[in-house]
Amino acid sequence: MPDVVEIPTLEELNVKEVNVSSAVLKAAAHHFGSQCDKPSKEFMLCRWEEKDPRKCLEEGRKVNDCAFNFFRQIKGNCAESFTEYWTCLDYSNMAELRRCRKQQHEFDNCVLDKLGWKRPELGELSKVTKVQTARPLPENPYHSRPRPEPNTPIEAELQPAKHGSRLFFWNW
Amino acid sequence: MAASKVKQDMPPPGGYGPVDYRRNLPRRGLSGYSMFAVGIGVMMFGYWRLCRWNRERRRMQIEDLEARIALLPLLQAEHDRQMLRMLRENLEEEATLMKDVPGWKVGENVFHTERWVSPLPEQLYNLRPREELIQKKFGFQWYV
Repeated sequence: MPDVVEIPTLEELNVKEVNVSSAVLKAAAHHFGSQCDKPSKEFMLCRWEEKDPRKCLEEGRKVNDCAFNFFRQIKGNCAESFTEYWTCLDYSNMAELRRCRKQQHEFDNCVLDKLGWKRPELGELSKVTKVQTARPLPENPYHSRPRPEPNTPIEAELQPAKHGSRLFFWNW
Repeated sequence: MAASKVKQDMPPPGGYGPVDYRRNLPRRGLSGYSMFAVGIGVMMFGYWRLCRWNRERRRMQIEDLEARIALLPLLQAEHDRQMLRMLRENLEEEATLMKDVPGWKVGENVFHTERWVSPLPEQLYNLRPREELIQKKFGFQWYV
């Protein structure tokens, strides 16, 4: 019955992408988690409630905008210490954060001085949060058919089973 | 016979000193119990150090996982956009390829439902060279 799968056009999907490598992202991850918290949580809530990526493109765009501003602020203020930090991370095997504690403290102090951002404590980003949205809760996101009503009345006359119970040997 | 004026190797005057010929099996060292105690003590110390290091490693792992949690929205949004972009390109290709086929509805839903069904890699990489599909499906096996 449904005819065509609607896919958004290429212009709608055209979003300013954050063109940055994995070490940079991992270096900035904790601060990104505390700064860009609101749009991120809204996007994830939208994605997981609607179960449809086409409905969450707007929120995704907001996440990207927030990320852009975030990196722009870092670049404007703490560029050198951030570069040191992520190059150190990139150099280490598996981008282990423990190999770069010195640069991490430098970067954190710089960001705290200039921008007032505090690095979230261990365990703060994994806390479960409640998200406030203007978007209404979607009803029936799985598009399931209406359930049949329970205990439909049986019309025919019930007879005892022919050849005895079929559950004779499987009666546990 | 020559008298005792010949130079010979003789014992020192007064004879040799006493020779200690008794068995020398001194009772020394730790007893059995204390050896066990030392061994178990060293093991306990090792376990305690290992426990502390494992707790530290667990804290480091939580840090890594939190970095992942923080970055997930960005990566998920980008992945969604990439997937939708590929589907859109496939749709447009399909429109150009099948425009002369009678009775073909472009972009027709193959399911009877309205909900979003995640596309398979075969669906996404259908019109691209086979290597890209293989890379997508099995590339993780060759990751170093």
